[in-house]
Amino acid sequence: MTLTGEFFAFMSLALVAVIGGVLLLNLTKVIHMVVALVFTFVSIAGIYVLLSAEFLAVIQVMIYSGAITIMMLFGIMLTRHHGDDAEPKGGMLRKLALLLGVLGFGAAVYFGIYDLDFQAVPNTLHENNTEQIGVSLFSHYIIPFELTSVILLAALVGAIVLARKDDEKEGDQE
Amino acid sequence: MVQDLLESSAGLMNFSIFFVLAVVLLFVILGFVTMAILAERKVLGFMQGRYGPSHVGGKWGLLQSVADVVKLLVKEDLIPKAADKPLFIIAPVIAFAPSFMVMATIPLTDKLQFADLNVGFLYYIAISGLTIVGMLMAGWASNNKYSLLGGMRAAAQMISYEIPLVMSVLGIVLLTGSLNLNEIVAAQGDNGWFILWQPIAFIVFFIAATAELNRVPFDLAEAENELVAGFHTEYSGFRWAMFMLAEYVYMFAMSALITVLFLGGWLPLPFLGFIPGAVWFALKFSLVVYILIWFRATFPRIRADQLMEFAWKVLLPVALANIFLTALIKEFFLK
Repeated sequence: MTLTGEFFAFMSLALVAVIGGVLLLNLTKVIHMVVALVFTFVSIAGIYVLLSAEFLAVIQVMIYSGAITIMMLFGIMLTRHHGDDAEPKGGMLRKLALLLGVLGFGAAVYFGIYDLDFQAVPNTLHENNTEQIGVSLFSHYIIPFELTSVILLAALVGAIVLARKDDEKEGDQE
Repeated sequence: MVQDLLESSAGLMNFSIFFVLAVVLLFVILGFVTMAILAERKVLGFMQGRYGPSHVGGKWGLLQSVADVVKLLVKEDLIPKAADKPLFIIAPVIAFAPSFMVMATIPLTDKLQFADLNVGFLYYIAISGLTIVGMLMAGWASNNKYSLLGGMRAAAQMISYEIPLVMSVLGIVLLTGSLNLNEIVAAQGDNGWFILWQPIAFIVFFIAATAELNRVPFDLAEAENELVAGFHTEYSGFRWAMFMLAEYVYMFAMSALITVLFLGGWLPLPFLGFIPGAVWFALKFSLVVYILIWFRATFPRIRADQLMEFAWKVLLPVALANIFLTALIKEFFLK
């Protein structure tokens, strides 16, 4: 294995992604967790770039930066910020079981992917992939695409209807 | 030149070349920011019938911004006791870094560009969205109600106006068939500038861009007479300067983007091709910056409820209608 720029970039991105994930689980304040999540998502976008899927990377950043900001807003509005709510830790037995579970999962994944050999098919997926995604989305996958848009629209209308109902009730009470 | 560098093998030499180029770009942008602040104050002064800066650095106050920056650098760095310290420190960095990152993809002339991305326009929008996270973090970390209100407003406003911003450009993308900023400029060389082909998109984009930049008439996030200063109320010294810097670098980037998308980038007017592309770009770019400053001098701030209604009920439908119209025109007339 040689120390190429790609390897270096992948290692640093992967490290940031994993550290972000671990911090997300370990931090106690909601806002800190969300910030850790930002780092994870952005470094995953970086890994997409390394795989020459730049369209996917850009969309990842675009969607998640908006989504994370909204999540942050809800985190600020819906949680308490006084810090002194440390959860009780589980017993020794529970920790041991947890460790075994983690090790088992790690081993399963390791043996699962260590010898995995994808036949490297020469393809042109990395060239003009925005165009390719567009073409296959609007020719081959047109029906699922349209169905998704209808479902999203239904969800949007549903959310508005639910939110409206609350408003009217409050209006009546006043 | 950059293309060869990007394809060459990685190494310390390569890294240092990129590093030096990036530092040069940073200094060019810092130079622009000092001049832009001066220009803003001068133009505002002119429009309000006063002189503006006129003492430091000669009659035109050329060194006024430099003196201001030096003052900011040597100022005491205050962190409020009740603030969330790590977030308070990292927030200006997260707000500023994306503003410099977006510069990578903007072509200043046909040769002067860092990264010729296939998804150049989307890259700009995506990366600039990260700044909102920094602003909201700053608002929350300050532990101050005005800051939090400012951060909330900034988030709501920037997320809402991002949508018409992207939608308005879709017309151009339809006509060009590419998201690559170089190809968008090349298409304007063949058919004429997109401000002529897409006037509706231009108006929507310009309004949404002003809102994205948090400038008057959309500066609710930092409305000084309601919120003290919004999300950066508690910041001082160099950290505050980072927020201001991010704002002006975005002004640079957004003006450059408008120039590239709608005004033909570095392309000359007919019969004036002997003037180099860089000069054309600078002229168009300065015009856009001047219009932004002009807006600031002449428009009153709009109300918070009107702000959201305007984005969702006016700009978005107009942008969608523009996409529809463009698709019809492309299908029936440009085949």
